[in-house]
Amino acid sequence: MTTAEAFHPIERSILYALSNKDNLSIDSLAANTGLSIDQIRRGIEWLKFKNLISVEQFSRQRILVAPGGLKATKNGLPERRLVNSLKKGKVNIAEVLAAGDIKNEEINAAIAGARRNHWIELIEGKMIPTHFADNQSPEEGFLTKIIPGIEISKLTQEDRNVLEEIRKRPNYVLIKEEKETLISLTESARQILPTLNREEYEERRLLTPELITSGKWKETRFSSLDVEAPTPVIFPGRRHPLMEIIEEIKEIFIGLGFSEIEGPIIQSSFWNFDALFTPQDHPARELQDTFYISNQTQQPISASKDQITRVSRIHKQRWNRGWDVREGQRPVLRTHTTPVTVQHLAKVKSDAGRFFLIDKVFRNEKLSYKHLAEFYQIEGVAIAPDASLRELIGLQKEFYAKMGLTRIKFWPTFFPYTEPSLQSMVYNERLERWIELFGMGIFRPEVTEPLGIKNRVLAWGGGLERIAMLRFELDDVRELYRNKLAWLRGVPKCQL
Amino acid sequence: MVEGRAKMPVVTVKIKRLKKLISDIRVDTALEMLPFIGLDIEGVDKETIRVEYNPNRPDLSSDIGIARALRGLLEIETGLPKFKLAGKSGIAIRVQGSVCKVRPYIVAFAANDGTLQDETLKQLISMQEDLHNGIGRKRRKASIGIHNLDVITSPITYKTVTGDYSFRPLNESSDFSIDCILSDLEIGKQYGHILADFDRYPLLIDNAGKVLSFPPVINGQATRVTDNCSNLFVEVTAIDEDTAEDLLAILAITLYDAGFDINSVNIESGKKTSKTPRMTQKVISADVSYLNNILGLSLGAKQMEHCLEKSRLDASIRNRKNIACTIPRYRIDINHPIDIAEELAIGYGIYNLEPSFPASYSVGEKNSLSVHFNAIRESLIGLGMIESLNFLLTSKEVQYDTFDAPPPKHPLFVETSKSIEHELLRDSLIPVLLKSLSYNIHEQYPQKLFEIGKTFLKSNRMIEERWSVGAVIANTESGYTEIKSAMQALLRSCFGREAITTPSTNHMFMKGRSAQVMFEGKSVGIIGEITPLALEKFKLRMPVAAFEINLLPTIKDK
Repeated sequence: MTTAEAFHPIERSILYALSNKDNLSIDSLAANTGLSIDQIRRGIEWLKFKNLISVEQFSRQRILVAPGGLKATKNGLPERRLVNSLKKGKVNIAEVLAAGDIKNEEINAAIAGARRNHWIELIEGKMIPTHFADNQSPEEGFLTKIIPGIEISKLTQEDRNVLEEIRKRPNYVLIKEEKETLISLTESARQILPTLNREEYEERRLLTPELITSGKWKETRFSSLDVEAPTPVIFPGRRHPLMEIIEEIKEIFIGLGFSEIEGPIIQSSFWNFDALFTPQDHPARELQDTFYISNQTQQPISASKDQITRVSRIHKQRWNRGWDVREGQRPVLRTHTTPVTVQHLAKVKSDAGRFFLIDKVFRNEKLSYKHLAEFYQIEGVAIAPDASLRELIGLQKEFYAKMGLTRIKFWPTFFPYTEPSLQSMVYNERLERWIELFGMGIFRPEVTEPLGIKNRVLAWGGGLERIAMLRFELDDVRELYRNKLAWLRGVPKCQL
Repeated sequence: MVEGRAKMPVVTVKIKRLKKLISDIRVDTALEMLPFIGLDIEGVDKETIRVEYNPNRPDLSSDIGIARALRGLLEIETGLPKFKLAGKSGIAIRVQGSVCKVRPYIVAFAANDGTLQDETLKQLISMQEDLHNGIGRKRRKASIGIHNLDVITSPITYKTVTGDYSFRPLNESSDFSIDCILSDLEIGKQYGHILADFDRYPLLIDNAGKVLSFPPVINGQATRVTDNCSNLFVEVTAIDEDTAEDLLAILAITLYDAGFDINSVNIESGKKTSKTPRMTQKVISADVSYLNNILGLSLGAKQMEHCLEKSRLDASIRNRKNIACTIPRYRIDINHPIDIAEELAIGYGIYNLEPSFPASYSVGEKNSLSVHFNAIRESLIGLGMIESLNFLLTSKEVQYDTFDAPPPKHPLFVETSKSIEHELLRDSLIPVLLKSLSYNIHEQYPQKLFEIGKTFLKSNRMIEERWSVGAVIANTESGYTEIKSAMQALLRSCFGREAITTPSTNHMFMKGRSAQVMFEGKSVGIIGEITPLALEKFKLRMPVAAFEINLLPTIKDK
């Protein structure tokens, strides 16, 4: 026998609400108990399982007046309008029609109705209204009665007869089917109701510090909680997903013995282009590809006189034109991370070492779903005596393997400051095609010699956002920077 | 090492013609091998293959050049491509002194008894445009004219004329003066700026008064080429002699391969007469061990010769240690032994290079700034904040107009940005964080965002790059208390010291609700409640409190 203790507050409320009623609909139960529909539904399931309530579904039909019927009530049924017309002096159908009081298609209904109600009689070929015509017809009465809508079950037999007649008329009434669920207590429920009322324990929801310290908790009955109920959604703080990828890649570099370097975004053209064997009239140096800072036409180059002389000499030898120091002095937003790398190598002059950076670069581009004006570039360099192209390929394979990429191929390409130069392509299973990954090469002697870098430098790099778009399955690169919380809050931290 | 964004030039290769150029090559073989000569396949359909090439290889600007390179790699034809001058054309160009200041150099050749039909003319036109844009530096450095030789009478004069000189330009139905061409015709407006500094303009005219061209703008209608022409006159004018010669050589070998006889032209300038095209090949020597070392191979002499020949070089080993390579005239990109190394790698086949894995003697580590930033990032995440990333380039509207504030004395604008939203280097993180909030007005509150990034300030004529951390909290009852607690929690947990806030004013914050953040006696940042003026402009409906701290002073002190 279930005791009062075992009841959830929701169950208790429902049982109480039904205790003095035959049955209640779900809506009425909610209204009576102050619970939500969801809670009522849950409570009903539990009580049904315990065999304390029964659930019955009823179907009801309701009659409502339809537009046609409303119009008829307002203007009068055809037979009423016929009789009114006759009262005004018309004597036959032709005249009534001519007067416009009824329409052609209504003639039959009008005459039939008028005859049925004994409203007209035919005398010497003329239609004359009778004194019965002053009475309301059953149809008229019915239409007015059902305007607020009425359940079919509540209709009298007479009403039903009239309904049959009315249903023949076009669009006068509408019959709607409504379903209702009614809940009622079972016999066993009625038997335990009395025990429910004799609740001796006081029920508590909160376990308070006071109850704990006073020991009163021992005498308190604590209510059950609706452990299934949903609770407010909250969001933890987190790294930006792009930063997560950056961290991962940093770890891969570090695991392969690379140390992180960093440097300024604003570089002189000398370091961004000249020292990297890019002639001063190269198209990439134009306004439409590179960001120059307004009102900053010249800034002193942060290089030694010796370095500047040697680099300019290379330019003069290779390209038979003068080398303009003022061009080298123009500050730009770096178009790649290589100026930072090459300055670092020139500074530390190590015989062997491995360095990397992942940082922002800038191109004067119009933003689109696949292009940004500023993006992250990954760059790695390895300097060693006798570093070779095969070692560069080997480094790439190791790096990619740690990123989980194994289907790789290499093709020749061109960069102004590396020779030989290669690009790597990775096969993407989801898109089912080869995608360009990184560019790479060995720094040209024209780059390393003027800076006193003695050993061979292997270098490689590429854009980060493309990798991010593949990982996060984005179609528009700008989404990475919109910082929409729906995305930021939703990207799973564990990418399997 | 990110690919240049400037559009790479494209060549459309008709498959039928490729099969003729390379004895019946199979399409799938071609598609497989094209990337190994450095071409990116853009698109393939039933009749054509479209490829992108790097402009450092102007010889690949036509299907003829591509076929020449492929024949080598496929070992159908190796070593130096054949080229021989057929003879003298008997044509002379007399150069007048006045061109010296404007466009001093001209070189030319005659191409006889060939056919332009079957795609050759199309390839020539496409090639000419690519060469103009690439090496020609949009025609400024050099430009090419191709003319119908049959209507030309020698000697040709290369001189300057005044702006009122008239002739019929290509595809026009009447004569135009040069001034009109520069002001009215599209092509004049596009390239006229090259001649903006001058009042006399270059003109190439033959002995009968036919105008061949007005370099670098437009050719004359009189010498127009159609695909019926079998005799061509090709000239290059330039401001750089080497560039002119290089372009001419590339055109010469292309037309030679297309079946024309190439005949030389005399250039008479003052007392000097020179014969063009000059097709002398350079010879570059490299150490065998050097080449092997760079690639990580140990090729024998014969093998090396063979690989280089596949790249269309001639190679012969001298005294076993040294290899002398003859470079085709059209390879203007090969100048140094390192360039030989690349040709060797391509001839060997990049696909044949086995990776090698040297041991690393270095231990990797993070940069100390990174480590500090990570600590800050983790503290803020621990305070329930979500990291946002915004661009460093922003707009005057976002940074200043939204606060009705004037821009600083020296705002850092960039020249001619293609996006107006990216015209200015940001001097503060708070405005861009507010912009991020404005994308999220329908998302659940509270919203707490932070960013660690660079901000820029111009001081004493130098531009300072600073690392800053900014945070915003938007919530129905957001306020100073909450943001101050967060800021102090951050500095305390990262650096173990308390930060103090002293009253101040700032255009971003409400009056009386703005403070400076003091840390170790130095002002390191700002904190306050955002002015409703800005909230309205950003279309935010929630109050926002914010702080921004410059990190380097705080890190240095620790």
